[in-house]
Amino acid sequence: MRKTATALLAAVSAGALALTGCAPAQPASDGPTTITFWHGYTEADGDVLEQIVDDFNASQEEVVVETEVKTWDVIDDTLLPALSAEEGPEIVAMPAERMPVYADKGAFVDLGELYADDENVAEIVPAAIDMVTADGTQFGVPTGFVPLSVFYNRTLFDAAGITEFPATWDEWVTVATQLTVDENGDGTPEQYGLALPDHATVANGLWPSLFYGGGGDLVADGEAVIDSPENVATLEYWSSAVATSKISPTGLDGIGADELFSSGKAAMHVGGPWMASISEASGIDYGIAAIPAGPAAQAASAIGVGMGITAQADDAQVEGAEAFFSYFFSEEVATEWSLGSGWPPLRGDIPASAVESNPVVASLTEIAETGRPLLPGVTASVDVLSAMDTATQKALAGDDPGTLLADAQAEIEAALAD
Amino acid sequence: MSTTLHKPAARYRPPAPLGGRGAGPRRSRSSLLALLFLAPALVLLGAFVAWPMLSAFRLSFTDSSGFGRESWVGFENYATVFTDPAVLRALGNTGLYATLFTPTAVIVALALALALNHPRLPLRGAFRTALFLPFVVSLAVAAFAWSYLLDPQIGLLNYWLRGAGLQLGNVLQDPALAMPTVALVAVWKNFGFYMVIFLAGLQEIPASLREAAVVDGANAWQRFVHITLPMLSNTFAFVLIIALIAALQAFDQIYVMTGGGPFGSTQTIVMEIYESGFRELELGFASALSYVLLAITLLLSLVQFVFFGRREQDTQ
Repeated sequence: MRKTATALLAAVSAGALALTGCAPAQPASDGPTTITFWHGYTEADGDVLEQIVDDFNASQEEVVVETEVKTWDVIDDTLLPALSAEEGPEIVAMPAERMPVYADKGAFVDLGELYADDENVAEIVPAAIDMVTADGTQFGVPTGFVPLSVFYNRTLFDAAGITEFPATWDEWVTVATQLTVDENGDGTPEQYGLALPDHATVANGLWPSLFYGGGGDLVADGEAVIDSPENVATLEYWSSAVATSKISPTGLDGIGADELFSSGKAAMHVGGPWMASISEASGIDYGIAAIPAGPAAQAASAIGVGMGITAQADDAQVEGAEAFFSYFFSEEVATEWSLGSGWPPLRGDIPASAVESNPVVASLTEIAETGRPLLPGVTASVDVLSAMDTATQKALAGDDPGTLLADAQAEIEAALAD
Repeated sequence: MSTTLHKPAARYRPPAPLGGRGAGPRRSRSSLLALLFLAPALVLLGAFVAWPMLSAFRLSFTDSSGFGRESWVGFENYATVFTDPAVLRALGNTGLYATLFTPTAVIVALALALALNHPRLPLRGAFRTALFLPFVVSLAVAAFAWSYLLDPQIGLLNYWLRGAGLQLGNVLQDPALAMPTVALVAVWKNFGFYMVIFLAGLQEIPASLREAAVVDGANAWQRFVHITLPMLSNTFAFVLIIALIAALQAFDQIYVMTGGGPFGSTQTIVMEIYESGFRELELGFASALSYVLLAITLLLSLVQFVFFGRREQDTQ
């Protein structure tokens, strides 16, 4: 009996999940309005952001922004419990595709008036604004918007005598085939032409980029459109390229693809700006190019980060946060942020020449126009991307793309209807 | 040389069973004292286990996201648990994982404990430490290490096998092999803990029993079946239950190694809870799913209690 009780207690305790967190809100104090700002910028970009915040605090006396650095995952896991306990931030930055999920729960303040009235915010690149818009409402401002681009290993290109970066899919596959080397003929190349992940791709954007290039999309006007003939053709094209030419291993995820490129085992890789520093650290002489054009378009899914004002903020804090946003998007600060973060300028009126001191930013700025926001305003993004991943992974493993995309269509329709 | 005076033999009173009948004022005073000592732990458990559990139970009947408005939805979340294909698949996956992990871990742990308990084994301490070591390694570190070892492109294991002319392939991305692989890594990681518990149990068995059996001509297998196993039944039940609970709550190692993939084939119930609660912000549904998992865990534990309780009675 005693054993039973003890073990049952153990089972109950072990089986329980604690969903908790509660603390009294702090009373507002006199003096300047204090605003807490959570973000996950931890590299050189973090230093620049801290500097921008310090400069903003020094530039006026009404508002003090205090930053709290947390990893993006921690922000995602703790934001809602913190807000419900009124212990959260007034400004929070997060990966843009997560923002509609929170906006849908009422966690963000509508910034429509700021967009209408503020001359700095009005200059933001329209595609980046779409990224932080849901149901016609702007609930945030972008802090980063960059299309995925191809990083290529110059040394391997030179060794193969390739001087021109491919401009179309057919050229891309041809070049990738040339760069694929199976020295011992065992069917497993020692060097791949391309690292083409088939699931959990970088910022979930590789396959959307390819679908756009083929003339398709995932969700359009709130409707699932993943099973379009264009997408079936795109998936058939790439799965057969991988199957017949072995240009890429299968079963790769985005991190695996990063590693394959940085270990010199893949000549090309579709990635984000951070691949520049990873490549340098790995001693790889790299170049950056736009994703080659598909039969219908040259387009790339954009990696985005945004920041919003949380529902926890009172009127004074909302006003202070909007003042900070306006400062953040002034021409000088936006340029400083672009150079420091390594991402293209967020204002459409800042030319590539203004950031040419950073060649990576300049290269990315030149291809910035190809960027499209990923699933803007789609609150069921988790389910949509999961359905897409299943289809792409199974297709590269040899299943029929048409059937797979039809299955994905049904899953996405169900997710959007929820 | 003791100088204690021998008292006349007192009437023998068997020790009162725990939770036996309460008595007189002295008993209640000592109960109060016991409660006082227990208070810090009870307060902590109340605040961090009982209260969250009750809150989660309430949440499971709402559509709460943990923030802002919430409304009462009755049993809707519980109905969804048993109709949502993704959840049903996760339940199946968890069952498969528990089936693969629990018996394997228990049998491996028992076999190695028996080997280590052998009096003539040299370097027993060193072996015990070596076998216990994986359990001490941080779970995330172990999961990452195995992911790298098994990687088809840069993995050491594949590299060695290629040298021997073999191909392991991409086991973590193969829907048929991913689950057995993560279960095997979990066995490697955890058997040392169960083994130490078995060792403690084995050392509790009086040597005289074994010696008597040897005198009676029992061979090693007979000694194992008729002495070791019955005497270990409590330990065995305990290990089986904690291993099963660990299997039902599998999350972190699988999350690191496969993220639930490929195509959701290693997605477990706790992963589903995590994603519902913290990715899709459906805390109400996540709470309902947590309670379903709790019910399953309790049910399976009870079945084991009944089974082992019977066995214990039979033995006695």
